[in-house]
Amino acid sequence: MSVRITGIGVVSAIGFSVAENLQSLREGKSGIGKITYLEDSRPFLVGEVKASNADLKEKWGLDSSHISRTSLLGLHAAKEAWGENKLNSELRTGIISATSVGGMDRSEVFYKDYLAQNNPEYTLLKTHDSGSTTERIAAEMGITDYVNTLSTACSSGANAIVLGARLILQNKLDRVLVGGSDALSRFTIDGFRSLMIYDDQWCRPFDETRSGLNLGEGAAFLLLEGDKSIAFSGNKTICYLSGWANAADAYHQTASSPEGTGATLAIGNALRKSGIQPEAISYVNAHGTGTKNNDLSESVALKNIFGANIPMFSSTKAFTGHTLAAAGAIEAVFSVLAIQNGLVYPNLNFRNPIEETRLTPVTSLQTDIPIHAVLSNSFGFGGNNSSLVFADHA
Amino acid sequence: MRDMDKNTYYIIAASTISHQDTFGKTGFSDSMSPVVSPALITPDYKAFIDAGLLRRMSKILRMAVACAKDCLAQAGLDQPDAIITGTGLGCLQDTDKFLNTSLTVEGLLPPTAFIQSTHNTMAGQISLSLGNHGYNMTHTQNTLSFEHAMVDALLLLDEGEQHILVGAADEHIEILSEITTHLGYKPGFPLTSGASFFIISKEKRHDTVARIADCEPVAFAQDPVAKLTRFLDTNSLEISDLNRVVYAVPGNANAGKYKTIWREAGLDPEKCINYLSLSGVYPTASAFALNYAVDLISQDRSLKNILIFNALRKENLGLTLVQSVEA
Repeated sequence: MSVRITGIGVVSAIGFSVAENLQSLREGKSGIGKITYLEDSRPFLVGEVKASNADLKEKWGLDSSHISRTSLLGLHAAKEAWGENKLNSELRTGIISATSVGGMDRSEVFYKDYLAQNNPEYTLLKTHDSGSTTERIAAEMGITDYVNTLSTACSSGANAIVLGARLILQNKLDRVLVGGSDALSRFTIDGFRSLMIYDDQWCRPFDETRSGLNLGEGAAFLLLEGDKSIAFSGNKTICYLSGWANAADAYHQTASSPEGTGATLAIGNALRKSGIQPEAISYVNAHGTGTKNNDLSESVALKNIFGANIPMFSSTKAFTGHTLAAAGAIEAVFSVLAIQNGLVYPNLNFRNPIEETRLTPVTSLQTDIPIHAVLSNSFGFGGNNSSLVFADHA
Repeated sequence: MRDMDKNTYYIIAASTISHQDTFGKTGFSDSMSPVVSPALITPDYKAFIDAGLLRRMSKILRMAVACAKDCLAQAGLDQPDAIITGTGLGCLQDTDKFLNTSLTVEGLLPPTAFIQSTHNTMAGQISLSLGNHGYNMTHTQNTLSFEHAMVDALLLLDEGEQHILVGAADEHIEILSEITTHLGYKPGFPLTSGASFFIISKEKRHDTVARIADCEPVAFAQDPVAKLTRFLDTNSLEISDLNRVVYAVPGNANAGKYKTIWREAGLDPEKCINYLSLSGVYPTASAFALNYAVDLISQDRSLKNILIFNALRKENLGLTLVQSVEA
């Protein structure tokens, strides 16, 4: 059972549109650099979207100060994925977004003044809750039939895509925008630093010397359509979501199991659901955060599933940074682009394989190769593991 | 959600920790008076959670894990097929704590509060404590978080899963009261914490008393009464068929309007209960309402149809129809 993908939109450290992101991926151009837009003067490496909140608000004609960066980024990507489609009372249209911090970027501004007893602006907190960030996007777009937010840490974006597909297959919705959005915040930077998995150098996914992640921010959405919606819209299918799975690692609140239990379950179940044989997977867009723990656990899981015949794989996190709840959605868009354009992206900053697993990712751009099916992994805190399978055929 | 093929979803376990004496007490609805207690009435958590783990756990995590385990014990299950939670504001205690540390402490920060601040910590901790590798999901859509979690659970049953652990929790922290005052929000009832979990199943047990007939979260609800009429119509019911209405309307501003609607439909005002008066106010209090409805049915099987009408936030509307199961 597969679901049609007919629209995609993305904003990240490497561009404001699908076209710009694709261009950067082709050129091997990372968007990671020193903090510029976030109010934080510390010298950390981050994958920021290269625009201030004021720029983003101006772009969409929004004058309210009470909109979180998470909503602004989400709106930007959702509008691109939605494209020229029109609302129609005959079609049940929904939106599912994923976020880990919601409006934390605004709440921090409040909290700083609150602690300093410096006349804090309480209304900033109206955008704190994660659900409100999605409602704001939905309100701007006029989508009302189903509005929901998932929050499962770093796998959230992938889970939003899964839920949307299930709602379409069960005929609860005719079409649904699915994706995720997370703005960079001091809260998450400090959080990952406290765990000592924040790399002060450029992150090096799957490299023996990897020592952590660089955080990023961004948003991505995909438009999923069922038969009735397609009959109305006449939209061309870009590719299909053909398999998915979510499984709990149940090993540790933050760390992944060394045996890759949850990851193996998620990948295996997603492949089974898609009906696509492991050897037919052309490319794996790995979670590959650059932490010691994730990349080892994910490598073990890949070996568990694919044995000695591991498909071409790479992590694109050294381009965008780890965008948390948006990551699954951004990488879903990259997976769709890989199929659409016959590309495999390079895993930047890789030198030597991990001792224990000896896996070597793709390190230079591969072009003009038929990509029929892509596996995309997203693994999160709480042992929340999700895998998606995209294919050029139903 | 419009639903052509009605399926049956039995509630085979229910567990609530609240400011009332609800935990482990069947029949609690009989003697319930308006919530006054400023604190949760909690069980001995050590019976449910390892002592070492318990020390690090915030209020919301303790409540969620204890309710989840109580549900499994009630149902005699080792593992559910899936764990789904809803939370409006997530793990506030740890979020507040880490935000505070992050803004005031220089250098290396202790990570525990950050680790436990993510919304899915509850579902993650439940899976950890059970060793459960199934579907694990967290919905957060403010006052409709629980309804969205429930819809996900019902979808899974329709997809062939057997037993779903689904619940919701929110915790009150001090700063919330301050924020509420500053924003001019008048909840009308005390701000509280609470957790309610359920096991929803395709299969009826000998002691099963209630089932979920339908659940619909409505975003941007402009005409709640029209939505309600359509919802009941989908379920071949009219307002007058309802044996109880368990509703949430904040403050007293809109309560009158709804009281009129229930009265004009021929419902005895005594049978329409603003559940916020019992649970207090938190974003997922509709999960409390569901346990309350199940408990009412457990005491009186003639209550065929109970509607949970969640208008806690005026932009959102949650509609859940609970029906008694023939003995």
